[in-house]
Amino acid sequence: MLYIIIAILAGSCIVISRIINFNLANKIGIFQGTFFNYAVGLFLSFLFLIISGEMLYLETNTMAAIPWWAFGGGFAGVVVVVLSTYLTPKLSAFYLTIFIFIGQLLVGGIIDYLWKGEFSMGKIIGGLLVASGLIYNLILDRNLETAGKTDG
Amino acid sequence: MNNILAMTIGALISVMVLSNGALAASTGNYLSSVIIHLVGFVTVIIVLIATKSRLHANRGIPVYMYSAGAIGVLTVLFNNLTFEALGVALTLALGLLGQSLASILIDHYGLLGMQIAKFNIKKIYGLISIVLGVIIMTIF
Repeated sequence: MLYIIIAILAGSCIVISRIINFNLANKIGIFQGTFFNYAVGLFLSFLFLIISGEMLYLETNTMAAIPWWAFGGGFAGVVVVVLSTYLTPKLSAFYLTIFIFIGQLLVGGIIDYLWKGEFSMGKIIGGLLVASGLIYNLILDRNLETAGKTDG
Repeated sequence: MNNILAMTIGALISVMVLSNGALAASTGNYLSSVIIHLVGFVTVIIVLIATKSRLHANRGIPVYMYSAGAIGVLTVLFNNLTFEALGVALTLALGLLGQSLASILIDHYGLLGMQIAKFNIKKIYGLISIVLGVIIMTIF
């Protein structure tokens, strides 16, 4: 039960950190905000590494065995933070969450298929359910807007 | 356009998960987190220089506004804990549930400076469909 709560909290944290970063970027600029995001993140990661007692240094042969693209995640992360910060004031928090999720699933599904040859019917059925629920709610929003109400 | 851009973020996250996962597999969770942030940090510095952006200390900004990076690291740490206990699929499903609930609350009350977008009760059907879809996708 504790782990279930932690997992839900981890999800909430993603949204909260996105919005906090936007608030900072709003004051000092998107790239500057991202800079502090990574400065603080790097410091804390380092702190946890030391506390955890995990090995501090990589052996050269381990290093050489790591494929080059495994280092690309840090780069992709910056683009994710910058784009999320840019979009935060333009979409409601909920729609941003759902659209990110759809993109993630689409490409995640393609990667799974190309990488592992996995192809699941459940992902397609589930994806259709997510998409239909989303379209339904988007239509509701649009109808409310045309009716002259801003609360959607 | 914004919706497509938002989906692009998701696409990048998928690539990121694959890449970071491969890194963590060979270096361990904590060291990989340091490397990922280091690569990101260097990238941001290059971007700042390339765009000739200036960094200036602003005293008027409350400290909590600098906490986004810390929350990000805690999220990864939480995930590492729950992956082992609950498995990847359930962790992701519960994480998305947390994201959705937090988003709806933030929109409804306009928390953290966001615009208020009140929850419309009619949307509950769409929401149920989305939640159901997410559960099916993560379990199968």
